Amino acid sequence: MHIPDGYLSPIISVGMGMVTVPTWAMATRRVQRVLTSRTIPLLAIFAAMAFTIMMFNVPVPGGTTAHGVGGTLIAIVLGPWAAVIAISVALIIQALFFGDGGVLAIFVNCLNMGIILPFVGYGMYRLLAGRSAILSTRRVWAAGIGAYVGITVAAFCVGVELGIQPILFTQNGHALYSPYGLAQAIPAMLAAHAFGASIVEALITAFGVAYLQQRHPEYLTSLRRVVAGADVPEGERPRRPLWQLGGAIVAVSAVLMVIAGFITGGGNIGHAFGADWSRVDWPSVATMLLLVAVLALILIPVAWILLPKRIRGVGTGFAAAAILAPLGLIAPGLAYGEGSTQNVQAAFGYVPKGLHDLSGIFSAPFAGYNIPLPFFRDANAALWQTAIGYELAGIIGILILGLAIYVITWLIRRAGGRAADPSSAQQPERWGQP
Amino acid sequence: MSGRVERDGHVGWLEHTLAGITSSIERAVFTEEHARSRGWLQAVDPRAKLGMFLVVILAASLSSSIVVEVGLYAIILGAAAASRVPFDFFVKRVWLGIPLFAGIVVIPAIFFVPGPRLFDLPLGPIQLAPSIPGLIGAVLFIARVGVSVSLAVLLVLTTPWADLLKSLQTIRVPQLFVLILAMAYRYIFLFLHLANGMFEARKSRLVARTSGSEQRRYISGTIGNLVNRSIKMSNDVYAAMAARGFTGSIRSFQADRMGMADWLSLVGAVAVAVVAVIASRSLA
Repeated sequence: MHIPDGYLSPIISVGMGMVTVPTWAMATRRVQRVLTSRTIPLLAIFAAMAFTIMMFNVPVPGGTTAHGVGGTLIAIVLGPWAAVIAISVALIIQALFFGDGGVLAIFVNCLNMGIILPFVGYGMYRLLAGRSAILSTRRVWAAGIGAYVGITVAAFCVGVELGIQPILFTQNGHALYSPYGLAQAIPAMLAAHAFGASIVEALITAFGVAYLQQRHPEYLTSLRRVVAGADVPEGERPRRPLWQLGGAIVAVSAVLMVIAGFITGGGNIGHAFGADWSRVDWPSVATMLLLVAVLALILIPVAWILLPKRIRGVGTGFAAAAILAPLGLIAPGLAYGEGSTQNVQAAFGYVPKGLHDLSGIFSAPFAGYNIPLPFFRDANAALWQTAIGYELAGIIGILILGLAIYVITWLIRRAGGRAADPSSAQQPERWGQP
Repeated sequence: MSGRVERDGHVGWLEHTLAGITSSIERAVFTEEHARSRGWLQAVDPRAKLGMFLVVILAASLSSSIVVEVGLYAIILGAAAASRVPFDFFVKRVWLGIPLFAGIVVIPAIFFVPGPRLFDLPLGPIQLAPSIPGLIGAVLFIARVGVSVSLAVLLVLTTPWADLLKSLQTIRVPQLFVLILAMAYRYIFLFLHLANGMFEARKSRLVARTSGSEQRRYISGTIGNLVNRSIKMSNDVYAAMAARGFTGSIRSFQADRMGMADWLSLVGAVAVAVVAVIASRSLA
């Protein structure tokens, strides 16, 4: 998420100082008002710790590693204003000394990771934690969700900052700075974080809070008093069980979805999300839902049992996604996944040349992600028939992909095994003997 | 067992972290070594130097001409040579790292940007057709990122951290902030050593494959432990500060005044920047 110099116009990167510098001033004054001499070493050492946390590579489900920022954890322990200073200091040292992130981009990077991240993360944490007891499990969940939301919002902001560059700064038709528009930059940043770095951030924050609860509960209350001068509510035993919290989140997101649908539908709920829902054939939808449910009940446990242990979680997730994918067929109009180049042209104004060329390759076996048989594709085919075609195409696709990856890894491992020292292959047996 | 674990890359996260920590310590030691050697930029007053680099980075960011970027890079290489920075290290460190990454980021844009095509090469079902505006934009983008990164690297290579901090005070960064920066920098290395020790201890005890969730739990525990150590350490540091008479007010030693050579260098850098911006306007 560290933006280097040259990605942003200096007008934006230096201009962001108008937001960042006053926030720093406010944070400094807030922290200074309490107890200067004691807070200086505390903040300095937490900044050093934030720097160290950014070096930790954490394995992400799926096989790669990502690193977190630790912003929400610091905000929970020291309060958001102190977190602003600690993370900004770590980021400035990274930019000036280790070349991570640009020098002119310091203001922008500190705004994203040093200000937006801890404030959003901490706000979410306070919202979810409510008045629950300091040592309750709810606080651990609140910390994890808060951290996830905080870093994802920060990533969204990076996407916006990069995405407005080609809109504002072009010359003779070519972009002067980062060339990707909002439609590419925001999804790219969100996808990269929502499935990687955000999970890491959520895990280290949640486990970090759980660790502090177990070993050093005093830090969750006393330090806030030192840095912020605020009284920390000790809280009381949670009156609401966890499932109510989950239910509330689901309800709130459902309400948000309805509102969003209402807005995008131009005020007519029958046209929510810009689609004409009266055209949907609801009985056939019910048939399809039933079929999908039956298939899910059979196939998901089968995937769980058949898959090797290492990829069980991820693999079952993918299988579930493939099985549930036809639910998107309900939406009339622009059926997702079937987005042809015409749809893309309508949405983005021009067809990227590469996309146009690439679409030729994939159209061969399963055009429109369906099986090329009249049973599945006929114009009169019922929705459930299309759904099954969709499903089979998805599962076959995943199988082919999995097989390809398996073959490639097997080949790489074989090549690596041959290159490796033969003595190391014999060592394990010797180690086994007492 | 251990041999297989290594080859499968299942302790890759450990190695990654260890390698990252070690390389950043090494890099810091190495850069400080060059900051102490006798060269042209090392002799310039850090305040003037900070101004020089900021002005030129700004010019590089504002310019929209590849010729100007190349010219700026030539000047940077000259400055690096005059400052006795090892040439291949400087060039390699910059061009093998971040601009390559920027290059990968920018490649799709070459094909997606609308405009006249450079050539149209049909490769089976794929057509390789880079657009000319896309190519120009990509080259300019990489050149600018490369120049900006080179400037930042050169500044760090030729300036000791303490001097850089002192010069921050002259551009009105609050003293509290500078003090925290200085202390944080000091303790980063202690923390890196601590983390290094923890990870190495972990690695030496690891004989079998561990599950992903176990690894994540371990790292989270490590971070919680670091929080604890940070708090303990800040207590100790504060006690030491208080014992030496720290009352909360910060006094720092101000370096002597800038000499003629420093002013000349600063004016020269400003002139280079102004010429670069004007040239890029007239070339575009």
